[in-house]
Amino acid sequence: MKNEKCSGISRRSFLKLGAGAAAAGGLSLPGRLDAAQTGKLATLIDLSLCDGCKDRDIPACVSACKANARGRIPEPVDPIPDPWPRKTVEDWSKKQDVADRLTPYNYIYVHEAKIDGQTLYVPRRCMHCDNPACATICPFSANNKRPVGAVVIDSDLCFGGAKCKDVCPWEIPQRQSGVGIYLKVLPGFMGNGVMYKCDLCIDRLNAGKNPACIEACPRKAMLIGPREDIEKIADERARAMNGFIYGRNENGGTSTLYVSPVSFDRIHATMEKKPGRPDMKPNVERRMAKTDAYGKAVLASPVLGLAAAGALGWYSRRRKPAKEGGNND
Amino acid sequence: MTEKILADKNRVVRHSALELFEHWAIALSGLVLLLTGIFELPVAKRYYIVTVPGLGWTADFITSLYLHYAAAIVFSGVALFHVVYHLLLGEKGLWPKRGDMAASVQVIKSFLGFGKEPPMNKYLPEQRLAYVGMAVIILMLIVSGLVKTYKNIYAPDLSWTVVLWATWVHNIGFVLFFLAFIAHIAAIVLKPNRPMVRGIFTGKVRLDYARHRHALWVAGLEEARASVAMSQERQKRDAATDEMTEESVASGPDAEDDALRNSPAAPADQAEAAEKSPKD
Repeated sequence: MKNEKCSGISRRSFLKLGAGAAAAGGLSLPGRLDAAQTGKLATLIDLSLCDGCKDRDIPACVSACKANARGRIPEPVDPIPDPWPRKTVEDWSKKQDVADRLTPYNYIYVHEAKIDGQTLYVPRRCMHCDNPACATICPFSANNKRPVGAVVIDSDLCFGGAKCKDVCPWEIPQRQSGVGIYLKVLPGFMGNGVMYKCDLCIDRLNAGKNPACIEACPRKAMLIGPREDIEKIADERARAMNGFIYGRNENGGTSTLYVSPVSFDRIHATMEKKPGRPDMKPNVERRMAKTDAYGKAVLASPVLGLAAAGALGWYSRRRKPAKEGGNND
Repeated sequence: MTEKILADKNRVVRHSALELFEHWAIALSGLVLLLTGIFELPVAKRYYIVTVPGLGWTADFITSLYLHYAAAIVFSGVALFHVVYHLLLGEKGLWPKRGDMAASVQVIKSFLGFGKEPPMNKYLPEQRLAYVGMAVIILMLIVSGLVKTYKNIYAPDLSWTVVLWATWVHNIGFVLFFLAFIAHIAAIVLKPNRPMVRGIFTGKVRLDYARHRHALWVAGLEEARASVAMSQERQKRDAATDEMTEESVASGPDAEDDALRNSPAAPADQAEAAEKSPKD
């Protein structure tokens, strides 16, 4: 990925560039998903198009997402049981309107990146990684990656231990205490609520609709479609604006591609990683990748054990042919 | 088979070096798996384990995963080796036999002061039952663990049904393995079982203990030794007189059957009777 320049570009010109790129590519929103739903999907967020909906109180994507998710979380029990021994309770039920960070009630927000006197608006949500550690090492497999590429937490199975948040490079999932299955097991000792995050509107996808945020965007700054199509569009737009892509290599690859006329090093520099506010470090590593070699050895180990047993067993039998029966009782 | 009576040292060789290796490889890797498996749950921070000097790493799930994988290489490799190798050699001493359940109850009763232990073989009947239990638990853990590993590397979007099955078989296997480990340790703490502990470290147990408690096994070993000597003697005899050989072949099988039917239950005695019958 190219990594510099584009700094002096004006907002107006990069908006134009984006639109130009879209026109040049002969592109429109990939439209209905009927055909795509069985294949792998990807999304594109074009930062040259997003204007943060400055004419509204809350960006359209954020309010559409909130409206779609409303009622998803039941009323937490009162009082929320104190977990033992570390008494961390996270209760967002009284602050459901918060829209400028990720919370259990807010799965997308728009970061404002001020660079060279210009403002770039960066919608942030779960990246839906290709090999998401949050899902693969969830102790109860409550979090799982669906064949379409969406990474979805099942709120009926999640204990809210927040392991997924710890292993996510962007710490996306957010906890609501006082709800979920842990209340029925050992609330004082095990679990602490339910983790929530963007699920790419999996229910809407299953019903043949686009995710709420994408549908609501007045500038069509976000797209969803078959993975190869989205990859192609991202490449074409990046080329046309002489810009940059984020999400292709990060954390081992994701199904969310950001296209920007400004480098992500510079965008990242405007972000301070805080709870619910991820940064955007280019090429952030997938830590689990380094364990893959060990994992492959694990998969080979039964075969090796079998081969060793065969070889040594054959040798032992040849050495002691007289010992028939061999019952070691 | 390395079992041998070392009468002058008051010892019997109970396990070969290879068997000791198998046991300890499984035991130690199993222990690492148990602990790192616990640290794959979000417990280290919550329970302040992370604040214990030297245990800072326990909060990092990826570090625990490295260790879990490393131990799993040994665990599943040696487990497969163990089963297949001993099957190939026909060594089935730890396989349950008919009546083991009843005999186990009798042994446990005797621990509590009711009645006497039945005459026992190299392994106690409950050892044979526990072996099968442990084997099933280990099989559950290995198969589900392999599915989970495959998913981690190659197929993060593997069918959720399969993933849920693997996860819950692994989690339940973990609880059972933990309980089985506790039971195993509890069993060797029991006084009558303690002399066996030496065996899993050195491969040998006391001969007087074995004679007293594993009478069938020691009798079998002595029997085997005697029968080797006897067959050598018989070979000499057979070579000398052809007529006698013919006679014994003709009357042998029937006489042997009768002897078996009338003999007491102990196999050592049966063998003895069978050995004697052709001559009668």
